[in-house]
This record gives sequence, structure tokens and C-alpha cells, in this order.
Amino acid sequence: MTSTKSKLTRRKLLAAGLAAPFVSSMPWVICPTHANEVVKLQFMYPVGVSGDINKLVTGMIADFNAAHSGIEVEAIYAGSYDNTEQKVITSLGVGEPPAMWLPINSSLQTFLGLDALEDVTEQAKADDIYSDFIGGFLDTAVSDGRLYGLSFQPSTPVLYYNKDAFAAAGLSKTPENWDELFDAAKALTIRDGSELKRWGLIIGGGWHDWMFEAYCRQNGLLPWEKDKVLWDRPEAVEALQFWKQMVDAGCMAPASTWQGSANDFMAGTTAMLYHSTGSLTNLRTSSPFKVGVAFMPKRKNWGASQGGGPIMIAKKQSDAAKRAAWTFARWMTSTDVQANWGKATGYLAVRKSSWETDLMKSYVAEVPEAKVALDQAQYSGAFLQVPAYSRARDLLKSAIDRTLTGEIEAGAALTDAAAETNREIARVMRRRG
Amino acid sequence: MSQTLARSRRNEALLAYLLLAPSLLFLVMFTYWPILRSLWFSLHDVLLGDPKIYWMGDENYRRLLADPLFWKTLGNTAFYTLITVPTAIVVALLLAVALDSKLRGMAIYRSAFFYPVMIPSVAAGMVWVFLYAPAYGPLNSALGALGLPRVNWLYDRDWALPAIMFMSIWKYSGYFMLILLAALKLVPSDLYEAAKLDGVSGWQRLLYITVPLISPTLYFVTVIGILHSYQIFDYVYVMTQGGPADATNVLTFYIYQVGFQYQDIGYASTLANVLLLFVLGLIGLIAVTFGRRVHYLGER
Repeated sequence: MTSTKSKLTRRKLLAAGLAAPFVSSMPWVICPTHANEVVKLQFMYPVGVSGDINKLVTGMIADFNAAHSGIEVEAIYAGSYDNTEQKVITSLGVGEPPAMWLPINSSLQTFLGLDALEDVTEQAKADDIYSDFIGGFLDTAVSDGRLYGLSFQPSTPVLYYNKDAFAAAGLSKTPENWDELFDAAKALTIRDGSELKRWGLIIGGGWHDWMFEAYCRQNGLLPWEKDKVLWDRPEAVEALQFWKQMVDAGCMAPASTWQGSANDFMAGTTAMLYHSTGSLTNLRTSSPFKVGVAFMPKRKNWGASQGGGPIMIAKKQSDAAKRAAWTFARWMTSTDVQANWGKATGYLAVRKSSWETDLMKSYVAEVPEAKVALDQAQYSGAFLQVPAYSRARDLLKSAIDRTLTGEIEAGAALTDAAAETNREIARVMRRRG
Repeated sequence: MSQTLARSRRNEALLAYLLLAPSLLFLVMFTYWPILRSLWFSLHDVLLGDPKIYWMGDENYRRLLADPLFWKTLGNTAFYTLITVPTAIVVALLLAVALDSKLRGMAIYRSAFFYPVMIPSVAAGMVWVFLYAPAYGPLNSALGALGLPRVNWLYDRDWALPAIMFMSIWKYSGYFMLILLAALKLVPSDLYEAAKLDGVSGWQRLLYITVPLISPTLYFVTVIGILHSYQIFDYVYVMTQGGPADATNVLTFYIYQVGFQYQDIGYASTLANVLLLFVLGLIGLIAVTFGRRVHYLGER
């Protein structure tokens, strides 16, 4: 082969390399201001469940960017829900929020208190949002009748159980009420002398306040109102006393962590687990035994609170950016994207039409467990949407932990936590005048 | 003649100020200004993310006095400091004395004991989370093999803080050891030789010759240790997040929670000011007790 004379000589290449930094510092060269300007958006998101969520989200963003030439979304993984919220609030503090973020739905009042959210009611009404979204999911982003986000990854806790362990213990059906849950947990616990081999039940730590709200709902109490929490009510105290009885009986772990509890379940260290439905796919495919999924057992009625959250859009940004952000939020919650997302994770697809796709139909036929959380969702509502919810959560978790370790009695712990939380809520409300 | 001398003195002073100016600027910008600001904020209702602030007077301070969690975190912080700093220094001193000899391969031992200092604290925290893991952690396996009861370490209300303290002693002893080792090199060897001739035991030589002569360094190490003990934030954040039931919550972590998790910058500033007072008080106490007894070789 003869040596072809490339037009790109080494000298030219070097010259170009030297010139590049100077050229890029001339904005009019790189960013011509004509009609096809690309809108750049930042999207901050957390990973709230067990499994390889990051890879999924990155893939979705790449698909979106490929399909929308005028918009470039940069996805920023920001850690846990708490970390994400902190990053967004800090950036709001310096006046440069990301275009969109994905918080836990409980933070709605916190962001509204900062006047940070774009009201998307009109766009949603002009679209098919109100008709096609599953009503209960959309409600978690509604305050005073206005919509402030598009529900993206709703979940509820469900009862995961090890089918092999149930068979070995001679249990033929899943527990349907608290008493049956207690009996099953006792039957499933295995001890070798003083050493524990397997817990009957672990309630996923770190989010056990979320599970606790489910227990309150099952006992006939929604434990919060718009401006206060009601944890000192007898229904709530009774729920915590029930947990304490199970811990005292040695069949429920007194404490755990969120990832640790999922690992314990997959490793067979617990036979039953309360965890987010968003962990379904990972638990189901990574466990070396058959995994069952059931409603959380009831007391007076079925009950659950919704985790997960909506994609929220920042108020303080240009109209072009807001339009692009809406396009993105709309795309992320569109029929097929939601069907794929739901199948890949276990989060509940938000659209009725998603559940009607062939993909979802065949998935539900193959994995009927996937539908349990959806069926349970009709007994669920928003989770702890009060101002100062973050402090409220920590105070409640601390009250639960202190009760379960025997430091304090359930009634006293919950009364203290409720009083302290209500003082904090009043303090935040006072700012709003 | 004297005029030129005065001028050159003035020029010299000017140069000194000029050379100091950059660090002074940073000190003002990143230390004094934030301290003043946090004093100002502590008298206000300040919400992270909201530019509006409201005057509250001393409400935050009254709230602090009635806040059980503040007292708990203060107690945890004090407990941590009072146990880990002396223990780490004693361990470091013994290591330094043991390693202050001219044996072959001593450099390897020194590096080995200094090694933990070089591990980033987040990585070290993650490693110890594994070591402490209740079900599969090596520490519990060892206890089980010895027939001892297993401990839930970081999930146990009574063990979590001691577990972090143990790890931090492991981490800092090597650092203190290195500083003390340098001091040991400066102790004149003829003192030891004279003592040996007089039949003074090794233990007495340590107590009556070594310790007094390296007391300036011990003093320095104590102060550094106390300052370090307020930076256990990393371990608490990585290993326990203050749990279980706030058993490992310390002041610095509580300040972070209040300021960034709860967005309550006013109250976080109040806590930070109290922490500042507490550290200053402790260092002051060390200065008037220990500091007065420091023996400077060849001075005074």
C-alpha cells in the first residue's frame, strides 16, 4: 500500500491542538446563538432501593438525549434521598438549582416552603396526565389542589417471604393479620442455643418509620395532618407495642440497615422482610430460593404509605428550560418508559396504559408478585407530608429505636417525639407567616 | 545613618506584612468571618435555601439548654475525647519507645504502625464496618472461635461508640508515635547512660527522664489530639450515621444534621458556637494545667 498523503499533517494537528484552548474561550465560536440552541438541563436523582439502579437511569437519559436534539440532560447521581435533597437545597441557597430533581414525596412541603417548585397543573391538564396516571400516585405531588411534579417511581413496602423457609416450617399461607404475622415469625425463627441462625422478621432499617406509618394506617390511623403529627394516639402506641412484643419474643431483629436487611434476606438470615417494592427485581433474581410477595398484614384494615417520589421542576429558571424540563419529565413518565422501568426495578408504573402494554402484561403473567404492590397501592397514601418532615422522621426513628432497645416505654417515646416534632413544625410554619 | 536603619526596619516590617497578607486574608475569609456570621445567625431563624432571616433573640440558646439530644451529643463528644486522646497518646508513647532502637528492619515496623494514618478516613471506616459486621465480620468470627459471645458492635447501643473509639485509637496512634519518635531522638543519650550506671530501671527511666524531656511534644500531641477528636465526623457519617438511637451522635455530626438535613442553619450555628466555646475551654484548661508543667530543655 502506498503512503497516502493525509491532508491532516502532524504540524496541522499540533497547531489545532494549540489553538483549541483559545478557540473554546471564544463563546461565539462554540455556541452560535441561532434557533437550534441546545437547552442543557441538570437532573439530580437518588438511588433509594437495592439493585443496579444507576445503570438503568443512565441508559434512560442516553435514550432521551438521543431522541431529543434540542435538549441535553445531564444526570447527576446524588446519593440517598437525603443526600439528594441536601444538594438541591444547598444549590437553591446559592440561587442555582438543578432544572429537575427526584426527591422523596414527603419533601413536597419543604420545597414549597422554599418557593422552589414550578406549578405544572396547567400543562398536566392540557395533557393526558390526569386521565392516564393512577390517581393515588399523582396525589402525592398535589398540595392545595395544585400539581408540583410527575410521580416517577412510586412504591410501597411489601412483605417479602422466603417460600422455602415457609415450606420447611410447615406454613401453608402467608400471614394476613398482625397475630398471624407474630405466629409465623415465631415459627420461622431458628436459634442454635443462644446463637441466632435466622430471624423470623426484619423490618428494613433506615426506613422503619415508613413501615411504622403503614402499621398506624393498618390500625386505622393516618398519623399526620397538614400541620402536625399524631404519633401519640393510642393506635400508634399500640403498633409500637406490637413491635416491641415481637422483639422481646426474639423473633424480630431490634435494628437493621436498609441495604443490610435486603442482604440478610437474600442470605437467608431472615425469613420475612418488609422492604420497598422497588427492590422486587433484585431480591427476586438474586435470592437462591423462591421469593414470595404479599400484602403487609392488617389489623383493622390494609394500609401502606407511598415511598418514592415525583420528578420536580425548578421554578427559578428560564421558560425555555422549564419547557424542556417538562418534556423530560413527561418522557420519563410516558407509557413505555414506565413499563420498562417498572419491570426492571419493581417500582410501580404510574400510568394505567403502562400496565396495558404487552411487555407489562407478559411480565405480570410471568411474575404475579409484581402486581401485589399495585393492588396494595389502592390502600395507600402519601408519606408524612408535613413541614420539617426530615427532623420528624429522625425523631420518630429515634423513638422507635429507643423503645425496641428497652430504653424507654412506647407511649412515652411516641408522646415525646410527637411533641418535639410538632414544636418544629410550628417553628417552620411561623416563618411562612 | 540611623534614618536609613529605621527605613530599612520599616521596609522589613512592610515586607513581613506583605508576606503574611495572603494567609491573613484566607484566615479572615474562612475562619473569622464565618465565626462572626454564625454568631449573627444563631440569633436568627435561618432556613437553608431561603435568603430571608428573622430575628429570634436568645430563643435558639434557650432551646439548646432544653434539647436532650444536645446534651447527649455533648456527653458523647466529651466521653470520646477524654478516653481516646489519653489512650492514643499512651499507646503512641509505648510504641515510640519500643521502636526507638537501632535494630535491623526497624523502619519496616515504623512504617507498619504509621500506615493507618495514611488510609483515607472514609476508606478506613468502610473497612472497619466490615471488620465489625455482626454476622460475617472477622472480629465476631474470632470471638466465636474463642467461645466468647458475639457482639453486635455498631448496632449495639452500648458498643457502637467504644467500637468507633477503638478504631480511632488505631488510626491516630501511629501519627502521634511518629511525632514522639522525633522528640525521643533529641533526648541526650548520656542521661540514659548515667541512669543505667546508677542502676535505674527501664520503667523509671521512661517516667523520670523520657517523659519530662519530651513534655513539650506530649503537650503538642495532646492539643492536636483534642482538635482531631472533633473531626470524627467522617467515621460517624460512614459507619453509623449517629445511630443506633443516637448512641454515636457527636456534636459535629449533630451540627451537620441540624444544618443540612433539617435546614435549620440558625440552630446549627448556635450548636457550632457552643462547640467552639467547649473546644476553647478544654484547650485553655490543658494550657493552664499541663502547659504550665511543660519542661523546655535548656530554657528557663
